[in-house]
Amino acid sequence: MTDIDALRRAIREADPQLSRFDPLPRIICLDDFDRGMCGWTQLVGNYEDTLDAMLPGYAQHSHAMLSTLPNWDFGSHGGVDGSYALKIATRPKKGAQNVAIKRLTFRKPGPIRLEAYFTFKPEATDLQLSETDIRSFGFLYDLQIGDSSGPGDRVMPHLRFLNAQDGQHLQKWQFKRKTTPIKPIGNAGKTITHYHLAPDDWEDLPGGEQRLCYNEIPTKVNWHYLRFDFDLASMQATRFQVNDRVFAMEGFDCIRIPAMKNLWCMLNLAFFAETDTDKRAFAYLDSVCLSGEF
Amino acid sequence: MLPENLTAVVARNESWTGEAATEPYEAGWAKEAIVFVRALKEPKGQLPKARIEISADGMHWCREGSEFDLPAAKDAVTFQRISHFGNFLRVAATLADGAEITLLVTFHLKA
Repeated sequence: MTDIDALRRAIREADPQLSRFDPLPRIICLDDFDRGMCGWTQLVGNYEDTLDAMLPGYAQHSHAMLSTLPNWDFGSHGGVDGSYALKIATRPKKGAQNVAIKRLTFRKPGPIRLEAYFTFKPEATDLQLSETDIRSFGFLYDLQIGDSSGPGDRVMPHLRFLNAQDGQHLQKWQFKRKTTPIKPIGNAGKTITHYHLAPDDWEDLPGGEQRLCYNEIPTKVNWHYLRFDFDLASMQATRFQVNDRVFAMEGFDCIRIPAMKNLWCMLNLAFFAETDTDKRAFAYLDSVCLSGEF
Repeated sequence: MLPENLTAVVARNESWTGEAATEPYEAGWAKEAIVFVRALKEPKGQLPKARIEISADGMHWCREGSEFDLPAAKDAVTFQRISHFGNFLRVAATLADGAEITLLVTFHLKA
């Protein structure tokens, strides 16, 4: 460790907001939702001429919220260290999904690290534990090489915690290598679409079974830490950690599709929720730290 | 720092018939809101008033008291100002048989 590394670490560890993260040297963003939406927005689907052209998977998406995690039985839960968290809510229909996204570009194809504190819970419409009502919580990157770096791909690493499916409590991390067929939108030849969060083609991450703290009634939540390391040079995942568990990533791969003509150096990050019942699924992010080696 | 100011699209290209409402939107941080409703297609039938509803928990709803016209033609826009609405907010309407509107509903919220 160099002097500058030691100094950087000491400064970060003395800052309570940063001390709970292990960022790479350069912090790209530290989004604490006590400061507002911090650039997280709705994932809208592509269209041309009419919104009817949007795929149904995207049409269902709505805007994330700034939430105090309010509960009918004990009031606002709050975040890890403040009043607000980002809330991603699905519609109350089995299989419904919703996504919050942040859209950036990168300046150096090197290592990046995503860290976040998250939790999830279904809408507390029943006085039951409801631990199998949420299908999944997950996250993804949408990445593409720089315009002069090619040839290369558009690369979309996806990971989800499959909590339950059809009432079975499965509790395992999964990844995805396939998206839906690419479909042109409109007649101008400028826009295409595909639904990378389609329910098919998820694969189990080897050794990815994990029992997360869920708590004992449908309203109490506990916050979880996640960290996902990715190398933009090799376009490979290098490390994945959730709470005390570090998962082997040798068996992991990403959705890889041909590079697109308008997406150079794209660095999008997104979180999503899916419900397994006709009940809203809520995913919450207390804070998100994206850092890089550059 | 400037106070939070958010445009949230809460219904996009949704067709309303019968009992209809936007999804619950949590915005307890906001002191005021304007709701805009735009018709994306030519509405059908006799349109009712839209109403603002508020909720403590996003599950049990009360009429806030504000009512406003739904837009009567494609691309027409109507709006309603709201303040002091607590935590959850939605727009609801009860459409008679044969009435239908495809709309874009946006909330413009300020802390």
